[in-house]
Amino acid sequence: MIYLDYSATTPVSYDVLETYIKTSKDFIGNPNSLHSLGVKSKTLMNSAIKQISDLFNVLDSELTFTSGATESNNMALVGVALANIKKGNHIITSKLEHPSIYKICEYLETLGFEISYVDNDSDGLIDFEDLKRKIRPTTILVSIVAVNSELGIRQPLKMIRQIIKKENPNTYFHSDMTQALGKIPVSFHDVDLASCSAHKIYGPKGIGLFYKNSRINLVPLIHGSSKEQSLRPGTPALPLIVSMAKAIRLSLNDIDRREAFISRLNDKIVKELETYPGILINKTKYSIPHILNISFENIKSETFIHAMEAYEIYLGTNTACASGDLSSSVLAVYKDKKRASSTIRISLSYLTTTDEINKFLSCFKIVYNRLNALVQK
Amino acid sequence: MKKVILIKYGELTTKKDNINLFIKTLKQNITQKLFNKNVDIIHDKGRMFIESSTEDYTEIISLLQEVFGIHEIILAFKLATVDLEEIKTHVLELINDKNFATFKVVTKRSNKNINLTSVEISSLIGAYILKNKSSCQVDVHNPELTLNLEIRNNESYVYFTKVAGLGGYPVGTLGKGILMLSGGIDSPVAGYMAIKRGVKIEAIYFESPPHTSIEAKNKVIALAKILAKYNNDIKLHVINFTEIQEAIYKNIPHNYLITIMRRMMYRISAIIAHNNNAKILVNGESIGQVASQTLTSMKAINEVIKIPVIRPVACFDKLEIIDVAKKIGTYETSILPYEDCCTIFVPEHPVINPESHLCSEYEKLIPYEDMIYKAIKNHEVIKITNTVENNFEDLL
Repeated sequence: MIYLDYSATTPVSYDVLETYIKTSKDFIGNPNSLHSLGVKSKTLMNSAIKQISDLFNVLDSELTFTSGATESNNMALVGVALANIKKGNHIITSKLEHPSIYKICEYLETLGFEISYVDNDSDGLIDFEDLKRKIRPTTILVSIVAVNSELGIRQPLKMIRQIIKKENPNTYFHSDMTQALGKIPVSFHDVDLASCSAHKIYGPKGIGLFYKNSRINLVPLIHGSSKEQSLRPGTPALPLIVSMAKAIRLSLNDIDRREAFISRLNDKIVKELETYPGILINKTKYSIPHILNISFENIKSETFIHAMEAYEIYLGTNTACASGDLSSSVLAVYKDKKRASSTIRISLSYLTTTDEINKFLSCFKIVYNRLNALVQK
Repeated sequence: MKKVILIKYGELTTKKDNINLFIKTLKQNITQKLFNKNVDIIHDKGRMFIESSTEDYTEIISLLQEVFGIHEIILAFKLATVDLEEIKTHVLELINDKNFATFKVVTKRSNKNINLTSVEISSLIGAYILKNKSSCQVDVHNPELTLNLEIRNNESYVYFTKVAGLGGYPVGTLGKGILMLSGGIDSPVAGYMAIKRGVKIEAIYFESPPHTSIEAKNKVIALAKILAKYNNDIKLHVINFTEIQEAIYKNIPHNYLITIMRRMMYRISAIIAHNNNAKILVNGESIGQVASQTLTSMKAINEVIKIPVIRPVACFDKLEIIDVAKKIGTYETSILPYEDCCTIFVPEHPVINPESHLCSEYEKLIPYEDMIYKAIKNHEVIKITNTVENNFEDLL
């Protein structure tokens, strides 16, 4: 099997799974219980939180565990919107977001919020001038994805933050960092709120992280806690939390060396696929090497993916969460409907081997020639 | 030219006969603090020098800021020469990338083979800088840059800035004391202040399971760990106080509960002190703060033991104590809300002016000597080091 859909999800690392099993077996107490088993669980939980807060140099209390990045995105957008309803009703986001952001925005529109979509240039970079123009006194939040999930385009968050704060110091800045964490260095200090997920970094599914600067007040999505002012009440999912702490630590190891290795694999694929007449490489100078997107001129991406499956090679269409539609990111960058209508995403990992890429390329050639011949007839 | 750390001693220099003990202890304490930093430490009567092969001193300096007995920590450039001409060239090299409009040179010279006074050397170096660095002038009162030059027998040091140390005496030079550590705000501050004066602290904590929780104990351990930063490491004596406390509660008039309880704690602490060769007790009592801390109460409680009790925060206001607690990092832990020995069994109206003879009478109602003997015999000792350990290394 050759798995090349790491941006959809990653296989859980063996070490992380060990942690999950051990924690489930050895720490049975509810961290909120008073007895020693509860205290033992709570101590472990606090150590896990501390490990993450140390890695990102933030406060323990600024971190909340969620069910995943989609929930974190909800927490950020809906939470900020409802808490700041008196300050304004305007929210800005980009055209390169994860589908969950758009769905949340649609929901917020039904509540009377107004959403603006900031433009990007032909390389996918946020148009700073347009952003400046769009920020109003009533803008309560800007949400910009750190790394786009389809084209891997990376945004300069620090610079965007400076622009936002200069135009309106009361506007908060959220970033969905799901595709950035573990691939490139990220800093929570570049933003006010951030969303992350464990299953993109070889952690378990079902847990995400939400960062919120301590100055910011949110309306929680879920109510039910008498304890402090927890944003996410309920019994803490200790095995998932500890696993995520470990997954984050491991994912930050060697991040540069891994990126360099993946970059070489990416170059190799691009070099070969560029020679195909019916293929367009959707890559700009801001794309990270872990994500490679291409468009077919004549072949339907779905057909191609299923044909590759016969060789046990697994690729992605746009993002797994929105398969079947036009690729909104390709459309936003290239403004070309046809180009956006049939795209596939090859996403790479430090686990990917050169052999796998060689095999992938030779199967690609066979499948491509076969399918292309069909449409030529 | 090498980067080194130069340490100026605190009050030590006033200790004429004991100075060697003080410096030796300071060196031991610094060695222990920097145990994994791979540094060379040498000393003489006036200075200590720390050299790291990596020449990266950021972390080392912040660790040294937790060591008592240091007056100033200086990041200096070591010149392997005492020749003034060579020093001049090096100095110029060092100030080359610095931007300043005014400066002064301050020289110290322990090398008496040089025929110039310190002031003469300063003006010589100053003149050389004026000649070679354009658009700057001397200002001895308010200079933007102060260039310090120390010429010793075989080498010289140049430095521009200094960081204040904690002052005080090296921990251990004044012997040992037992700190009554409750988990509140005051006692860690009291401990810190005793450590500052060179007292090596061991702590004693009274637990009353099931009336007190493990979390309360963990909190005390966490506090001890913070104090261990300044104390090198810390021994925590945990006394199971349940039997004594319940006996007091059952048999003694409730307005005297606290007084008698404190008397028992004092007795136990004094024995622990004796057994561990500690010369004093230290606690966080502050005059008038609670019923057991009125002067009459203090007298009635204190009279059951003979060793001195030092109360470093006795005359501090609560807010003053909180300021120190925040500075040393114990405050956040101290305010965690867990029951401790002193907050359970609190009578509604504790006696404010307890009478000693009544205390003695009431105590006859319980066989406290046997209970104390048992509690001390079975007490738990936890050795707490300041090294950052990860208890869940296999999981995280």
